[in-house]
Amino acid sequence: MQHRTIAPLLSIIPGLGQFYNKQWVKGLVFLILGASFVVAFGDLLNMGFWGLFTLGTEVPRDNSIFLLAEGIIALIVSAFGLGIYYWNLKDAYKNGKLRDENFPVTSLKSEYQNLIGQGYPYLISGPSLFLLIFAVIFPILFSFALAFTNYDLYHSPPANLADWVGLETFAEIFTVDIWRSTFFDVLAWTVIWTLVASSLQVSLGVFLAIVVNQKEVRFKKFFRTILVLPWAVPGFVTILIFAGLFNDSFGAINNDILAFFGMNPIPWMTDEKWARVALILMQGWLGFPYIFIVTTGVLQSIPEDLYEAATIDGASIFAKFKNITMPMILIAMAPIVITQFTFNFNNFNIIYLFNGGGPAVAGSTAGGTDILVSWIYKLTMQSSQYSLAAALTILLSIFVIGIALWQFRRTNSFKEGA
Amino acid sequence: MKKFKKYFCLMSGVALTLSLAACGPQDDAKGGDTKEADKPKELLVWEDIMKGEGIKDAIAKFEKENDVKVKMVEKQYTKQIEDLRLDGPAGTGPDVLTMPSDQIGTAVTEGLIKELDVDDATQGIYTEAAMDAQKVEGKVYGLPKAVETTMLFYNKDLISEDQLPTTLEGWYDYSKGVANGEKFGFLALFDQIYYANSVLSGYGGYIFGQDDNGSYDPTDIGLNNAGAIEGAQYIQKFYKEGLFPAGIVGEQGINVIESLFTEGKATAIISGPWNIEPFTKAGVNFGVQKLPELGNGKNMQAFIGVKSYNVSSYSKNPELAEKFVEFISNEENSKTRYEITKEVPAVASLANDPVVTESPAAKAVAEQSKFSVLMPNIPQMNEVWAPADSALQTIATGKAQPKEALDQAVETIKGQIEAKHGKK
Repeated sequence: MQHRTIAPLLSIIPGLGQFYNKQWVKGLVFLILGASFVVAFGDLLNMGFWGLFTLGTEVPRDNSIFLLAEGIIALIVSAFGLGIYYWNLKDAYKNGKLRDENFPVTSLKSEYQNLIGQGYPYLISGPSLFLLIFAVIFPILFSFALAFTNYDLYHSPPANLADWVGLETFAEIFTVDIWRSTFFDVLAWTVIWTLVASSLQVSLGVFLAIVVNQKEVRFKKFFRTILVLPWAVPGFVTILIFAGLFNDSFGAINNDILAFFGMNPIPWMTDEKWARVALILMQGWLGFPYIFIVTTGVLQSIPEDLYEAATIDGASIFAKFKNITMPMILIAMAPIVITQFTFNFNNFNIIYLFNGGGPAVAGSTAGGTDILVSWIYKLTMQSSQYSLAAALTILLSIFVIGIALWQFRRTNSFKEGA
Repeated sequence: MKKFKKYFCLMSGVALTLSLAACGPQDDAKGGDTKEADKPKELLVWEDIMKGEGIKDAIAKFEKENDVKVKMVEKQYTKQIEDLRLDGPAGTGPDVLTMPSDQIGTAVTEGLIKELDVDDATQGIYTEAAMDAQKVEGKVYGLPKAVETTMLFYNKDLISEDQLPTTLEGWYDYSKGVANGEKFGFLALFDQIYYANSVLSGYGGYIFGQDDNGSYDPTDIGLNNAGAIEGAQYIQKFYKEGLFPAGIVGEQGINVIESLFTEGKATAIISGPWNIEPFTKAGVNFGVQKLPELGNGKNMQAFIGVKSYNVSSYSKNPELAEKFVEFISNEENSKTRYEITKEVPAVASLANDPVVTESPAAKAVAEQSKFSVLMPNIPQMNEVWAPADSALQTIATGKAQPKEALDQAVETIKGQIEAKHGKK
């Protein structure tokens, strides 16, 4: 038998293959790592995997939700373990192969240099990656898993156990009438909201930046300061103030502004359509300063000679804008614009603080301005529909990730280095 | 390298089977609970925010009598059950907590609070309604601490006491004379079921039907019966004729109505005891009274909310915790607590005690409680709020006729109950 077969076979117990290859120190390290892994995590893995599969068998001893969390941690820990195990086997195989081909096995020193040399970026980013896994991957896996359970009021610890139900919750969203009709209503408004509100704030920001950046405009600093002000006030304060301003019978917008122009009061808060208009206008106001600042920066970095050359060639102002300014802005701004879209898709604050998702819509479980996130919030907080909320969250993320990926691929900004 | 992958797959397969075979129920691991013997006992009590002062003396007494250490932490009472869900299993939860009675059904369904073994004599000292609020399917899960109900707040600068209309119809006429788009007479948040129920059930509507034992039947919803519709039509009149401005409709309505009252632009509003302190601080010269009578001669049946003390299922000293609950809710301690916190107690004999009757606010609550209905405490109640509010809102804004709106609401409520509570 060849060394390349024997060594990995022995390494099924970590370290033995390395001993076989006469790499004592490395073998010892693997052996200790392997043993301590089993000792330290044995219980966790045992309980974790058992809990993950059964979600508990006995009340009140077992708490399904904690077992689920423990199970996911066990999953992550075993992924780490398998990673090291894979490394151990690969190492045994590689050195066995070297021996088969009559090369000397790698020395500890060269291995160390290899690690420092090539593995340096990994070594440095290791700790943050580790944190990332527990701070980001773990919660995502957890809520992802919840969607496949029946966790709700009647399957809550400590009195009851939750159980795996597969895709049933997803099926319910599309088969139970109240869920389906509400889901599609809310989704439709969420999409309109995202597109219109984001487009408004971006175009407003870009437009104002270009206007203020014109050579002829004086007091540039003054205008910039004024235009950035909406950004300086905390968003939720602005939203609450706007909620007061838009009030149907007492708000300044109806009583002072519209009345001044002789217009009839508009039912901003109690009519679904007007509430939506009000929200879009508010988001335009809240969102444009950021775009304004970024665009101003981009504009100042466009080389002046491009315009000079264009002027010599006899280009009109419009042609200059179309062929120089706009393309330059778009390249730099594309990623920012996309984040604006994803931000608005999940813009919980403005919806919740303005009118609590209202006004009410007859026969729907969501209000007229509820977007997916605020609806999910209501589902979890008001009626403990945890698994349904988790399933909706997954659908929502698929939507956002899909759009973002598609957009990122179409823009040039991310092509380099990819 | 290809070859290696083959080996790896094989081996990890072996390893995985080995580790899975080891997985299994760990009955023994947890079975042998070692009892911590004779450690000095300790109770953790969660009290409502700003109300801890009211039970301090009682705690000191209880500590002395039972040789325990009682630690008290203040937390908003509506959020305690939420915290218990996580703190309980983590072992940092309280032994005794307090919550509004309409959460009891949910808490019992989840198994978060313990059934109490309270004898009839103890139960007998509380008003019947308050005690009913503590029961789920005939079993007692808490002892009442305080009752709350809505009442009429009126501005003494705008109307004198002897001019006060005693009926809703009277207030309607009064409002007609006063309301001009800037100033208003009588205002209420009748676009929310919490407030509107006082009218609807006064005319014969109800949320859930009750059987002889007082258990609620979630399939029997009386929000669209003839009485409820009559009530809703009556409500709509106020909005239609501009006596209630559209600006008090919806989520922000509560802020608007309160500021109208504090600014002296509304003569009277319906609100709860929680506003006594803010209004006093705002310098309003106000009085309180029970709610006016309806057109059919009946009293408005506002919701009663009962706050209670309960024992957590996670308590390590449940007997002691139960003893504490009984002690803290007894007549003497209830009285002391009332004197400090001004929350009207649920002890029947205290209703006629001079301490309570001297205070107009407590008197109003006590009087109104006689005509009030209990907020259903079954979990299905969660499905009622949003659809009922929607219906009332569309009635208030004139977008729907009372009958259609209420029929629709009941249909939605039934659908939601079916979808969320059907598969037990």
